[in-house]
Amino acid sequence: MQLTSTFKLVFLKQMLLGVQLSAASSNSMSFHERKNAIKLSADAAIAFARGRTRWSQGLITNLSKNEKNKDILKSLLGRKYDNLRKPYCKSLKIPRSKKILRRCLRMCSRRKKAGRAQHDVCKSVLAKALAKKRIQVLKKLVPGGESMDGFSLLDETLDYAMSLKAQVDVMRRLLKTSKALNIKQMKAWGQGGLDFTAGGHL
Amino acid sequence: MSGRGRRITDEEINELISKLQSLLPESRRRNAGRMSASKLLKETCSYIKSLHREVDDLSDRLAGLMTTMDSNSPQAEIIRGLLRS
Repeated sequence: MQLTSTFKLVFLKQMLLGVQLSAASSNSMSFHERKNAIKLSADAAIAFARGRTRWSQGLITNLSKNEKNKDILKSLLGRKYDNLRKPYCKSLKIPRSKKILRRCLRMCSRRKKAGRAQHDVCKSVLAKALAKKRIQVLKKLVPGGESMDGFSLLDETLDYAMSLKAQVDVMRRLLKTSKALNIKQMKAWGQGGLDFTAGGHL
Repeated sequence: MSGRGRRITDEEINELISKLQSLLPESRRRNAGRMSASKLLKETCSYIKSLHREVDDLSDRLAGLMTTMDSNSPQAEIIRGLLRS
């Protein structure tokens, strides 16, 4: 699916570009600024790699709320920036999506057929209220989730979660590789004694 | 238009739910049967939150690492090479 190596490679490349663009390795940045630049690049990169989905659009919209970020995003994403900012056709809150969500929830829980006791009715009312509350939480977690409902919310959630997983995976590997390179470099320096020009050799 | 006019089948819903469930770490651990709706939602929310935290933590650590990186380091060279391709 989309946890493919192509996605991850595109993501990595885009993230590194973003980091470079925001000059995160320059010494003039504070740690905090550097971290934010990395996070911005990482988020822009998953949106870029994934293409146009509701969540990726929501993500770019959220990131663009900061004017400074907006400029970086524009140069990083190029044409894709406008593509991702283009609004989806206005989602009408049709009663249909509520029905679909109800169907989803019904399919999750096993349902006792005949002879429902009063107790069971209370339980199911509570379960529905709980589910409703959790859907509100989910809407806040998924970018652009506030305007989604029903099936599309769950669909976008799945897609978003998979992209996040890939993001974490790549960042972990980037960290591991960078650390390993750092250590090698330090060792090389150490072996060369005070001769720091030996540092380039791996 | 987005195919909003077409009816979403029960199969599609089932497939979506099982995909979501198989993504969650908890369900993989216990190899549980079908979760209840509220449990599925709860686990999904916690999972996304934990992924957000991980990204935040990894950004912290990467930021820390980049202070030691300058434009002459091997990392920078590798990154430049990657970006050229």
